[in-house]
Amino acid sequence: VIAEQATPPVARIAPSAPGIVGSRVTAARRRYAAWPRGLRLLAAVAVIVVFVSPIYVTIVNAFKSEAAIDSDPAAPPLHPTVSNLRTALDRPDHLLQLGLRNSVIVVVCSILLLIPLTSIFSFAISRRTTRVRAAILAMLAAGLMIPPQVVLLPTIHILTLVGLDHTYPGLILSNVAGGYFSFGVFVYVGFMRAIPIEIIEAARMDGASGLRVWWKIIMPLVRPATATVAIFLSLWIWNDFLNPLFILGPLTGQTITTGLYLSVGQYQMNYGQLFGIMFLAGIIPVAGYLTLQKQFVAGLTQGSTK
Amino acid sequence: VTHRRRWVRELTTDIGLRSIAALGLFLYVVFIVVPVFMSLRSSFTNQNPLETSSRYIGVANYTEMWHDAELRASVAFTLCLAVAVTIVANVLGIAFATLLNRTGLSYRVLRTIAFLPQVLSGVIVGFVWKTILTEDGLLNDILVKIGIVHTPVDWLGSPHMAQMSVGIVVAWVLSGFTTVVYLAALQNIPPELYEASRIDGAGPRQQFRMITWRMVAPATTISVTISLITVLKLYDIITVLTSGGPAYATESTAQYIVKMAFTSDRFGYASAIAMFLLLASAVIALSVTSMLRRREVDL
Repeated sequence: VIAEQATPPVARIAPSAPGIVGSRVTAARRRYAAWPRGLRLLAAVAVIVVFVSPIYVTIVNAFKSEAAIDSDPAAPPLHPTVSNLRTALDRPDHLLQLGLRNSVIVVVCSILLLIPLTSIFSFAISRRTTRVRAAILAMLAAGLMIPPQVVLLPTIHILTLVGLDHTYPGLILSNVAGGYFSFGVFVYVGFMRAIPIEIIEAARMDGASGLRVWWKIIMPLVRPATATVAIFLSLWIWNDFLNPLFILGPLTGQTITTGLYLSVGQYQMNYGQLFGIMFLAGIIPVAGYLTLQKQFVAGLTQGSTK
Repeated sequence: VTHRRRWVRELTTDIGLRSIAALGLFLYVVFIVVPVFMSLRSSFTNQNPLETSSRYIGVANYTEMWHDAELRASVAFTLCLAVAVTIVANVLGIAFATLLNRTGLSYRVLRTIAFLPQVLSGVIVGFVWKTILTEDGLLNDILVKIGIVHTPVDWLGSPHMAQMSVGIVVAWVLSGFTTVVYLAALQNIPPELYEASRIDGAGPRQQFRMITWRMVAPATTISVTISLITVLKLYDIITVLTSGGPAYATESTAQYIVKMAFTSDRFGYASAIAMFLLLASAVIALSVTSMLRRREVDL
């Protein structure tokens, strides 16, 4: 049903690029046809503008009055106002401030535990025989694939047993031990394979302990891997919804995602307020992405070539 | 003797490293491996958080699944969504990547922007698209103003429209990801290949089919697998956008599991469905990956 339903919009957006290429080329009947530069850029701009229009709409309307949104939601803010943002920040429940604070705590603690844990683990198994390593990696691969809904109930059960259900340490523990652990190990193992064994053995001759070799020699060599792990896991943990919703529960305070869901879903609010909240909630991951853009793309590229 | 001494030395100098590595493995086993088996076990019981004890009921949960129309609908919807979204996101990804694969500041900016949907949380994406798609939302505002439609269309109101809308939103998010992956692949293609084929008289279409399409095969494997897995565990976007409605038309299997577990308090039944979802995800992901891998080798 969905496949049929989804076809028209696809046809409308998707082949626009190849379609334009084809018609231009046949019209010009040029064998080595390259697009005139300006036209290609224009097409690229047009396509991407349509593609990101929902984000554009969020940004411009966050700075517009309700009347201005009503009269033309797509127009840029000619008389920009910060009243939407102020309303969002002045909410009596401090949705944004508390949510951002809680999310920062969860992300920072999870990452500070995940980086040493996954890199040490990867270093330890990178010196095992190929068979043992392959078996461990196969088990970890399952963690990347298992839908979180499958392990959610037992996870809550286990956290209850150790007295950490409905707590931040419990949520952090489930982040550190779950599929994110697998992701970190896979990234690190890929990088550690490239480290020549002689370097490590030379350090061992000097009698350095495993942890010392890890900290002094391995970690400086795999810095790009650390960047990839830190960036992607921060983003994913920041955007997590299911785990904080059910592991933290309703009374322990909310992360930014569950907070938005629980309070924005509760009652009607006008578009200006809603866009103001969404703008402020989205600005941190977007700003992080824009500053660390190069590492983001490098991380994805490593992932797709390994 | 030297062997043994080395072993002893390694054990004592590496005790810290080994215990931390062991701790990592232990936590993974406790929070991923053990839960899978706990779910498997409770899928054969009538476990319910409101009752103190649970009873072994054999395969009753599994036979109930067979007759559960709502579950069947959610599975059909999830599978259709997975296929449609994967196709759309990958076609868009290749198209965007081909279009943006140029040097220069303008293209760099466009590439940066194209990834943005992937950075936002499913909750934000859901709310933003909801304000756009509801009956008195922004899309209808614009469409009516321009005169494309006379009466507002309820994009989330009827079952089929809502299913299509969910598909568009999820494909939108994933396209940001696939674009970057395909771009990386395109940038790895040596330009000599295109030059050589040009000398042989190949047109742009042939070049796409013979060079581009084959050289991006590894990127296709990644993009398709990740798209499928993402849809199979999809929860946040649908929950915010439609909450599975109208009339359960957009309820994913992942959502149905959560509903059974936390709204209906039927842990045993939810676990049985979770086992099914796990098996289905594993079969789909592994078979599609191995199929696409074979294509990579087949250059």
